[in-house]
Amino acid sequence: MAGAIIENMSTKKLVIVGVILLIFQVLSFLVGGLIAPSPTTAVHYLATKCVDARKQQHQRSKWFMPWGPNQCDKIRDFDEAMVKMIEANDIVFAVHIPLPNKEMSPWFQFMLVILQFDIAFKVVNQIEEGAVATIDVGLAYRDDTVSEWTEMAHSIEQRKLSCNFTTSKTYENEGRYYECDLLPFMEVGSVAHKYYLLNIRLPVNERKRINVGIGEIKDIRLVGIHQNGGFTKVWFAMKTFLTPSILIIMVWYWRRITLMTRPPVLLEKVIFALGISMTFINIPVEWFSVGFNWTWMLLFGDIRQGIFYAMLLSFWIIFCGEHLMDQTERNRFAVYWKQVGPIVFGSFCLFIFDMCERGVQLTNPFYSIWASDVGTELAMAFIIVAGICACLYFLFLCFMVFQVFRNISGKRSSLPAMSKARRLHYEGLIFRFKFLMLVTLACAAMTVIFFIISQVNEGHWHWGDYTVQVNSAFFTGIYGMWNLYVFAIMFLYAPSHKRYGDEQSNGDLGVNSGEDIQLTTTITHVDGPTEIYKMTGKEAQE
Amino acid sequence: MFLPHGFTCSAVTSIMDSRHFLLTVTFLVLFMQAVVDASSWWSLAMNPLLIPEAYIIGAQPLCSQLAGLSQGQKKLCQLYQDHMQYIGEGAKTGIKECQYQFRHRRWNCSTVDNSSVFGRVIQIGSRETAFTYAISAAGVVNAVSRACREGELSSCGCSRAARPKDLPRDWLWGGCGDNLNYGYRFSKEFVDAREREKTYQKGTYDSARLLMNLHNNEAGRRTVSDLAHVSCKCHGVSGSCSLKTCWLQLADFRKVGDALKEKYDGATSMKLNSRGKLVQVNNKFNSPTSYDLIYIDPSPDYCVRNESTGSLGTMGRLCNKTSEGMDGCELMCCGRGYDQYKAQVVERCHCKFHWCCYVKCKRCTKTVDQFVCK
Repeated sequence: MAGAIIENMSTKKLVIVGVILLIFQVLSFLVGGLIAPSPTTAVHYLATKCVDARKQQHQRSKWFMPWGPNQCDKIRDFDEAMVKMIEANDIVFAVHIPLPNKEMSPWFQFMLVILQFDIAFKVVNQIEEGAVATIDVGLAYRDDTVSEWTEMAHSIEQRKLSCNFTTSKTYENEGRYYECDLLPFMEVGSVAHKYYLLNIRLPVNERKRINVGIGEIKDIRLVGIHQNGGFTKVWFAMKTFLTPSILIIMVWYWRRITLMTRPPVLLEKVIFALGISMTFINIPVEWFSVGFNWTWMLLFGDIRQGIFYAMLLSFWIIFCGEHLMDQTERNRFAVYWKQVGPIVFGSFCLFIFDMCERGVQLTNPFYSIWASDVGTELAMAFIIVAGICACLYFLFLCFMVFQVFRNISGKRSSLPAMSKARRLHYEGLIFRFKFLMLVTLACAAMTVIFFIISQVNEGHWHWGDYTVQVNSAFFTGIYGMWNLYVFAIMFLYAPSHKRYGDEQSNGDLGVNSGEDIQLTTTITHVDGPTEIYKMTGKEAQE
Repeated sequence: MFLPHGFTCSAVTSIMDSRHFLLTVTFLVLFMQAVVDASSWWSLAMNPLLIPEAYIIGAQPLCSQLAGLSQGQKKLCQLYQDHMQYIGEGAKTGIKECQYQFRHRRWNCSTVDNSSVFGRVIQIGSRETAFTYAISAAGVVNAVSRACREGELSSCGCSRAARPKDLPRDWLWGGCGDNLNYGYRFSKEFVDAREREKTYQKGTYDSARLLMNLHNNEAGRRTVSDLAHVSCKCHGVSGSCSLKTCWLQLADFRKVGDALKEKYDGATSMKLNSRGKLVQVNNKFNSPTSYDLIYIDPSPDYCVRNESTGSLGTMGRLCNKTSEGMDGCELMCCGRGYDQYKAQVVERCHCKFHWCCYVKCKRCTKTVDQFVCK
């Protein structure tokens, strides 16, 4: 055979395939933009200030409800507490998630909560330098509106307050609020229950200096973020549709490879591995999260995504390397350790970081690696190492692409002097390489462009009566794009069906001198070169 | 805030100065009306009836008991009974903020009684009236949005509030986040109802007042939503920013007050044109946007007490002897001079605080000089 489909397919067919892929690409953007709602929703909650009257009555439930039946004794503000002689230790901030008349659903996938304090400025009671708030927090759930609350987690957390006061600190400006940073508060990897209740206390202990010098807290505000049910449904549907298509092409591809008499070369193996990792991320195991309470789903999703990206990056390196038409020995994985090493190491760092944060959150949803100084440094270290690895990777990749191009132009100048068959072979390689590099660059550019658009844009565009969800279109579009990319690579790099002799083990990419003769013989057998060959051949002659 | 004040009759002249005779006539009509129609929804701020418990047991008659509501507002009250408490609260925050912003001015936003709230001053379409309308509308947006976040309002959340039947489905599909939007729309519905249900002949003073009130209400509401800032949280893989969620966050109400005070200083004077629309008196300036305050009448003389304008005068107000600004004795007392007192002030000092509700202080007394306008 004369190589892969990309070399042997006629231009017409190639264009048809390209157009079909493009249609699917547009479709995947439209699905996100027009059908799906925005990926996530933020819901505000203002903590209700309950008074813990348990000292008087022992029989009451230990959970405080902010509204509805059995609601707690509320106070509107702390001036009222002052009058009623209520102490800070008797105040419980209660937040019910979600707001009344709504219920949470497993379709929300995850729930993360952000905490913000409203701290009023007072000349005599200012926030001290490096103040730390100690938060005693409990999380409970129930599945109907009447039953008792069941405790899910309880923890005592510390959060560093970083607040600044923008106006001058004078008596005139008393009562204005500090501007405080958002604090990470809670992260739950599955939303299996209908109602959640948070009870937050800020216990004061003057002897141990707990919660002293944190200013005058007026309110606690929470922002709950969860994935939208509509987005989840569209996302699952997309995954369910994509899984079989990638799976089928993968099976087809591997069958083609095994049909060949020679063992598969490295590039073919790597492409197959890419297909496997794509399928791994595609398989919609998330469907189970609707029925089962699997909190590790979020972590699992992260890992799958990480594996795919690591695979993709390794693929690019090996792809470039195999196209380096130098005489050094290729076609062995060991050659690429130097390049693949940083990828694996960087991914591993991110994995460790993810395990430290989301892994611990499996047992304690209030844990945040950013809350403690050591944790922050560690997290920063991981991210910096991953960042350095990414930089190294791109340097490597750029270097390799540069080398490939230099080699190609070098080869190109000697092309006219070569025999026709050899020239055609090189032209074919050049074409393939350039084609794939262009597609890859386009994919990467699209990813970056849409990322920037979705970051800058407020999230939705109005287009007549339609609202286009930019963020959803970004997610479905990019996801669809990488799937189509993997699909295209597997399709185009599958050994061609057009066989011109059985025992040619086309050394496809490894251009060893031994194979060169074989190649020449292969191609001289070809009575009429394919369209691409003609085209590129003509180009070369000019 | 009640302060002792004298009574003089001279301020009527400032009205008589008015160039349009028609205006004077309408004022006279207003005087007659004022006795009957002086109350306003602001009175919700003063109303002791507004306790949350009163609304729980289908308190239908309550809405008719509430003084100061117009016909349309009463209907809204019956539909959204649980909102009334927060409207009252919003009005209260608005009034408090107004008093803070104007604490050093001759007109200090003092409330007069429980039904008309600000008294007769508000009948004049002055800058001060413009500010009052704007800040109270802003207060309602703030309070209703806040109540939303507290989960106190049953109908709040999804922005398409007209479809409560579909709400659970909407919630599951796309979430219901934005409560500022709800607060804005409810405030518009409720506060503007009073203005919207009246119809005046085009070109009359009343129609000008109506336009002015609507404009200033809108300016107040827009200031709240304008000052709300966007906060975002990144929560993608490994904390990357591939997944980002943003939300609007209400500003501290003091900032709303500051912004509106600035608008007050730059308020635009308007007049009716022949087609019954409000146009600028002075064309040299940029025309006011919907964020700016507008007024149609000059401010009355706030120096001396005047029953007909409703001005309370500055007699008996405290002033600052050393200040050169509006709170200085020279300007505050309008040149009438001041009395000096020595007052014993008991202050709390050397205090120990907790974040809430606990203060342990010593008492310190000190003698301060106080200056009171004659």
